[in-house]
Amino acid sequence: MSNTHSLTELFANAKGTTYQCDTTNRIIIQFGEARVSLRISDFLTFKKRVDSVDIHTMIFNTDDAYDVEVIDAPRTDYLFVLNLCDLIALRDLLAGTRFVLDLNTLLHERLCSTLVY
Amino acid sequence: MKDLVRMRTSLKEEIERILNEQIKMEAHSSAIYLAMAAWCDRNGFDYSAGYFYKQSEEERKHMLKIFNYVSDMGGHAISPEITNVPQDFDGFRDIFELALQQEIAVTNSINRIVGTARQLNDFATDQFMQWFVNEQIEEEYVARRAVELFDVIGEEGVGRYMIDKAIPKISYDGGAEAE
Repeated sequence: MSNTHSLTELFANAKGTTYQCDTTNRIIIQFGEARVSLRISDFLTFKKRVDSVDIHTMIFNTDDAYDVEVIDAPRTDYLFVLNLCDLIALRDLLAGTRFVLDLNTLLHERLCSTLVY
Repeated sequence: MKDLVRMRTSLKEEIERILNEQIKMEAHSSAIYLAMAAWCDRNGFDYSAGYFYKQSEEERKHMLKIFNYVSDMGGHAISPEITNVPQDFDGFRDIFELALQQEIAVTNSINRIVGTARQLNDFATDQFMQWFVNEQIEEEYVARRAVELFDVIGEEGVGRYMIDKAIPKISYDGGAEAE
């Protein structure tokens, strides 16, 4: 994790990077040209939305309507318009971010125990 | 680096998920009991109808208790969508057997939540769920006793009328007679 001002990089893949801002308590998602800043609860809601897309249908349905998926980021004006590859990359990015957030929680739990004893 | 997830809620994702499932289950129970009350009313079992209306209200209170807990802990409590509520039943006895099965399913579900809470060292949820563990002892007793009455009194003659009258009087004394 590298620090840039108050931003801490959480996770990165070929399509994007996520950061945590300790000043605003927000998660910042940089994905392609898009950059959105979400509260933690909105980040988790957004992740659920991305995870709930039926990828199988996108792959096998030949109708044009299934070529892209439009997902809005909660409490922002931004709409993510994602093709199949984008969607998979975004899922990977958000899953990696969630993993780091959980790892951070685990480290805090262990660190607190160490401080107490 | 701040722990934003923990700052938002003390509930782990898995605990939040199973508590929301329990909210849905309690709401579903409430809806089933309401349907049973309506069936009893339609078929002249007035006392049993009153009993099921009361049960329905109780299940709703249980749902709200968990709902408030999830919200108070900073979690995302989900207002449940209730579907597949049976509106017709095979008979008077059948309703009470179904009610007992429903209570057993709720008990099993609560036990699973307690087990998971202990596994994840979530002692607050474990403690919170103990109220439900105790409540289910009473709920199951009452539901089981209701089914028993069908054998004890019998359905012949005025049997059903007697059973209907006896249903609201069933109460659990918490094993007081042994004290």
